[in-house]
Amino acid sequence: MLDAGRHPNIDLMAYSEVESMEGESGAFEIRICRKARFVNEDQCTGCGTCAEKCPIQVSDSFNMGQGTRSAIYSWFAQGIPSTHTIDAKYCRQLNGKKCGICQKVCQADAIDFNQKDKIVNLTVGAVIVAAGYDIFDPSRIPEYRYRDQPNVITSMEFERLLSAGGPTAGHLNRPSDRTVIEEIAVLEKKAKKSEKMLGKYEEKYKMVSERFYRAFQSGEHGDEKDSVKWADKYKAYLEIKSKREALKTRAERFSTAKNLAFIQCVGSRDFRFYQFCSGYCCMHSIKEAIIAHEHEPETRSVIFGMDIRAVGKGFEEYKIRGGNHSNISYHRGRVAEIRGGPDNHPVVIYEDTISQTVKKEAFDMVILATACAPGKSLKKLASVLDAELDEFGFLKTNHLQPVDTTREGIFVCGCAQSPMDIPESVSQASSAASRAVQVLMTYRKVS
Amino acid sequence: MNKDILIIGAGIAGIQASLDLAEMGFMVHLVEQLPSIGGKMAQLDKTFPTNDCAI
Repeated sequence: MLDAGRHPNIDLMAYSEVESMEGESGAFEIRICRKARFVNEDQCTGCGTCAEKCPIQVSDSFNMGQGTRSAIYSWFAQGIPSTHTIDAKYCRQLNGKKCGICQKVCQADAIDFNQKDKIVNLTVGAVIVAAGYDIFDPSRIPEYRYRDQPNVITSMEFERLLSAGGPTAGHLNRPSDRTVIEEIAVLEKKAKKSEKMLGKYEEKYKMVSERFYRAFQSGEHGDEKDSVKWADKYKAYLEIKSKREALKTRAERFSTAKNLAFIQCVGSRDFRFYQFCSGYCCMHSIKEAIIAHEHEPETRSVIFGMDIRAVGKGFEEYKIRGGNHSNISYHRGRVAEIRGGPDNHPVVIYEDTISQTVKKEAFDMVILATACAPGKSLKKLASVLDAELDEFGFLKTNHLQPVDTTREGIFVCGCAQSPMDIPESVSQASSAASRAVQVLMTYRKVS
Repeated sequence: MNKDILIIGAGIAGIQASLDLAEMGFMVHLVEQLPSIGGKMAQLDKTFPTNDCAI
């Protein structure tokens, strides 16, 4: 990543989109829109003071919506280019309100609220599409209750939880438990505000709120305006306090998730959605179970799948190692349903194909191995490039020329071509690069 | 014949293709939709089968 950012032969245009393309192989005329960041890329040092001071908090899409980021943000900490971006949708200043705090605190003077989208015109000999994929939305499978059950999550969400730079700093705290902790924090804040307000009355009347309230209830203070107000405020304070204490008692029982279920083929190998095998999900579930076990040696994982497809160099050995050393068991069978259980423990209902019985078991957390879905933006891109898509929505290729699209001079690699894992993406990228060179180095038509 | 190349998408595949071409001496224009490059792989914690850090 770093190498690509500083290579003299790479002109990096992040936060940009291809708008149109004309011409033919050897001389494509491309129009690129460089979206306004409202931050000067050359001046921003990436110090992050702006993000710290920004008053707006929005859901963090890098962390799959787990946790928040500010309206001025860097996509992730080690991101390249190491510059911040203002999210025009949420920024107060850009929406006509008074703010501009980031501009005031920026020592590099990099904030520019007047920045406009910039159009760049290029002529290139060849194009390589490496536009990637989308993660399948499991809420399309109602029986898995992805949105209804807080502790049923996708593998990418789980990946972020495992990451030291993620929303839980690598601890496997269950989403339902995190919600309670957040609620406690909100109540804490409310209680503090309440205490401050009560303090004013206490000072004015030289009396402790508790004593006043008892006296008020026995009718000693009548219905003077201040007394009624004070009593109401104290009543509200007591409610906040009792709610907070109840949640705190609940939170005492919380521990990190140690009993995990991984459900394979969520959206893939499913005739309702995608018939293909996404290829990498079996392996990433094993990997996630191994890493979870490394974090917490008491972790037990069950991987539910029709079969475990460990096809690749060193993959089968990895699978066996996971079973032997990381407390993973592999259960054959497709999970029929996930239901809610007590204390937000999702219950997995499945058929045990060995005993031929339907079983159910509760887990701390259920992780869905979501399919590699064709990118939504790929459709638009394909029409801009005038290249065909296949039946699923990936770029169409020929089996004997797997990186050539239907348009001469345009090549494809990675998950824009079909689902594949990282080693395969890398080798296909090199292969697309060498095909592109053939176009550039020869006057003959490449076919 | 123009010798520049446009690469759309700066995930692991786009970055690899860019580096290969740049090392060969071609000028590469690497376009990414998001504010930073890295794609989905940057979101991963570790990679199989070696458990190497993804970033």
